[in-house]
Amino acid sequence: MTVTPANQLEERTPDPKGAGPTAITSNSPTALAFARFRKDKKSWVALVVVVVYISAGIAAPFLVMFGVLDPQTANQDLLNANTLPAGDFWGISWTHPLGVEPGVGRDVLSRIWLGITYSLAVSLAAAFIAVFVGVALGIIAGFAGGWTDAIIGRVIDLVLAFPQTLLLLAAAPVGLAILTEQLHVPDGALAQGMFVVLVLGLFGWTGTARLIRGQVLSLREREFVDAARLFGASRRRIWFKELLPNLWAPVLVTFTLYMPAFISAEAALAYLGVSVRPPTPTLGNVLKDSIQYASGDFLYFFAPAFMIALIVVSFNLLGDGLRDALDPKGDR
Amino acid sequence: MAKMRKRMVALSAVAAMTAAVLAACGGGSDNPPSGGSTGDGEASAKGGTLQYLQHFPFESTDPQRIYYGVELANFRRTLYRSLVAFPFDNDPDVANTPVPDLATDTGTSTEGGKVWSFTLKDGIKWEDGSDITCEDFKYGASRAFADDVLTGGAGFYIKGYLDIPADPKGGSMYKGPYRGDGQELFDKAVTCDGKTITYNFNKPWPDFPLSVASLMATDPYKESIDKGDRSKWVVMSNGPYKVDGGTWDVNKGATFVRNENYDPATDSPDLLRQANPDQINYELYTAPEPILDRLVADAGDDKNAVTAARIPPAYFSQIEGPVADRTATVESPYTNYLVPNQKTLTDPKVRQALAIATNVDGYIKAEGGEKAGVPAESIINPGLPGYTEQEMFSGSNEGDPDAAKALLEEAGVDLPYPIKYTYGQSETQDKTAAILKEGWEKAGFQVTLDPLADTYYDVINQPDKDSDVVWAGWGADWPSAMTVLPPLFDSRQNFATDANGNVTNLGQDYGYYQSDEFESLVDQAATAPDIDTQNDLLTQADTVLANDVAYIPLDTSTFYWLYGSGITNFMTDAASSSYPDLGPIGVTQ
Repeated sequence: MTVTPANQLEERTPDPKGAGPTAITSNSPTALAFARFRKDKKSWVALVVVVVYISAGIAAPFLVMFGVLDPQTANQDLLNANTLPAGDFWGISWTHPLGVEPGVGRDVLSRIWLGITYSLAVSLAAAFIAVFVGVALGIIAGFAGGWTDAIIGRVIDLVLAFPQTLLLLAAAPVGLAILTEQLHVPDGALAQGMFVVLVLGLFGWTGTARLIRGQVLSLREREFVDAARLFGASRRRIWFKELLPNLWAPVLVTFTLYMPAFISAEAALAYLGVSVRPPTPTLGNVLKDSIQYASGDFLYFFAPAFMIALIVVSFNLLGDGLRDALDPKGDR
Repeated sequence: MAKMRKRMVALSAVAAMTAAVLAACGGGSDNPPSGGSTGDGEASAKGGTLQYLQHFPFESTDPQRIYYGVELANFRRTLYRSLVAFPFDNDPDVANTPVPDLATDTGTSTEGGKVWSFTLKDGIKWEDGSDITCEDFKYGASRAFADDVLTGGAGFYIKGYLDIPADPKGGSMYKGPYRGDGQELFDKAVTCDGKTITYNFNKPWPDFPLSVASLMATDPYKESIDKGDRSKWVVMSNGPYKVDGGTWDVNKGATFVRNENYDPATDSPDLLRQANPDQINYELYTAPEPILDRLVADAGDDKNAVTAARIPPAYFSQIEGPVADRTATVESPYTNYLVPNQKTLTDPKVRQALAIATNVDGYIKAEGGEKAGVPAESIINPGLPGYTEQEMFSGSNEGDPDAAKALLEEAGVDLPYPIKYTYGQSETQDKTAAILKEGWEKAGFQVTLDPLADTYYDVINQPDKDSDVVWAGWGADWPSAMTVLPPLFDSRQNFATDANGNVTNLGQDYGYYQSDEFESLVDQAATAPDIDTQNDLLTQADTVLANDVAYIPLDTSTFYWLYGSGITNFMTDAASSSYPDLGPIGVTQ
């Protein structure tokens, strides 16, 4: 990653290794990173998958509104005597391309598709919280040093030492009650979703905070920060104008790597019954039911698991690719 | 389909736990088992080892603390005998009629059913070789009063019936054998005269022998081995088997071996315990799936395996060909029903509309279809005396949204009418809820689903809950509607009140139902001179409930069993609460 302040970029001789055959032109680090990323086919594929998922996720609520997707209507007439989808190939048809759910006959594609929306929304919101808290505390700890740094460091240790999953299971009723009764969030999917977002976000920031603190520790000793200080720049100016622009690369990478972690965490929590509850079809909720049908209804078993695996792998590859592009010398 | 799966994986055991925890034993079914059943008690060859694959842990192996239907049924056949017992038989009338076991006859009653006496057989012994005495029976019954130490079990019946005054400070004047207060009162209520034990009750108990056969509260217990709560997993057998090592492991189970101090001459092997296998290995799992995988594969020792884990719908497609020959489908004693909240749905027309709009067929299909349940027309199980098809619920089982809508309009309420449906969350219950919601919404309701996890029964017994409909399940404790209607709808025995007389807990009367008409019929039934009059009065009481829509019946659960190819004499009868009966079972060696 670059640690060079923006105002020195023009004078700097480009790194021949990253600049390609025409070594004469001067490239910005962004352009260099982009050039590296462009050569990484694996990451491109991952990026495309992620973009498709996000577009699908945004489109789903509108498709439901216009009746193209229907995740709730029961079609028990499409089931056989064993209450599994009737017909060959797990009951797939033009109206139900991935078949219908055993027992009730709700459209599987609609439920998975809408599940992507919920899962992405939850992980996106949680990732924003985690990155925001992590960056803020990381900069404060790294720049202030001394007591402030020590206290934040111990808070990080404390949060890391918490048995998160256990706490989540035990605290879910209490957390939900606080949200609905004290903060007057309407009971139901919204409150449950907020609880998961808050918990994932508020327990997930520690990694970012440590990373950012480390970066800031080295950045604050650099000449351009000293120069800014000599010119009498305010602390706020140093934070936002001198430090933050040099941190966007690690922030982007951690954000991208938070997404798959939170998507799978949400699915696991749904499985344990503390995420958004049915009948809302999150990916975790669909998966929880479908895993029983490994032999009975293979497509129903396979589709949601595959969808989760694909998005998690794609985000991970994208995150790795970004890190390689932005910080070619960094350790894996 | 309630899968009786353990909590950890699913948080979804609530539905299953109803059947398992609340509803214990007894009951019956009018459908003889079909499929793999090999008829009534023809003798199988002796010997071999039976594998019993169990998918959830028991609550205790102390007879006075057992209340799971499957455990009562299995242990009655293997470890714990009592005064009388139910014989295995495909005819529910036979299987619901107790026969003598440790007693010489099925008891004699005097004073209109208020006093019951039994005389013990000669030569009956514990597994340590000592005689089973009248004092052991008396001591066993006294343990019902130590419910502060011995939690669980079904001792509350005998505790309520025995003629011992109530303590004005709460509870009974007799505080149980460990504390000893009021021992003289108990000694007057239960007396021993040589080999004859006499129980004195405060009101007539015409079906007392049924309760003795079904539950284990009146089973004998040897005072010298009683260590209170520390005896929770100790087994002192008097049946044909004993537990190897004497203690049950809650997470692993145990091995049953022959009890050499058991004398079949004191028993009726052809009615109660053929005891064919030489050994029974209990093996515990935390979910039904691995058990069913093993039974489907039917390899090695699993050929001689049975289980109390019902086949979940996801496995239905694997049950075909030769595997299907190893199955049995039987109507169980357990009924699932909905309870409208009388405090929020105050208009009877709204409750009727709800009942009429309920799509029972869809509910059953979402559970797994005809192998999971059959429509119920009353809260009283069809296998019980006193059952009648209630007119209020006898219409179409698909639900009639138009008729329901007409009723709602007649009631003059604003449509859509908002209701909240509360149920114990599980994958199956999520599906049934989706179906019920769709049916109700067609009729003009607007349904909010409220799935709850582990805390389900702690929420629905709260008087101020905002649920309009809750789900529940029940099975009779012994073959009498007296163990169905009063425990579920008599507000006097269900409600707990604080010092100001405010109701603080609804008990099992989840719908806050209070009716003088119903309660007076129950009182008349309780003091009825004979069982037939009692049953007539209970049928009338059930009709009062149905007309008030105190409940909406959903279905009678169907048990769908799979067993190994080496099993002989597989039976599921009223005596075993439709679980695999270990009385006649045998294995191929």
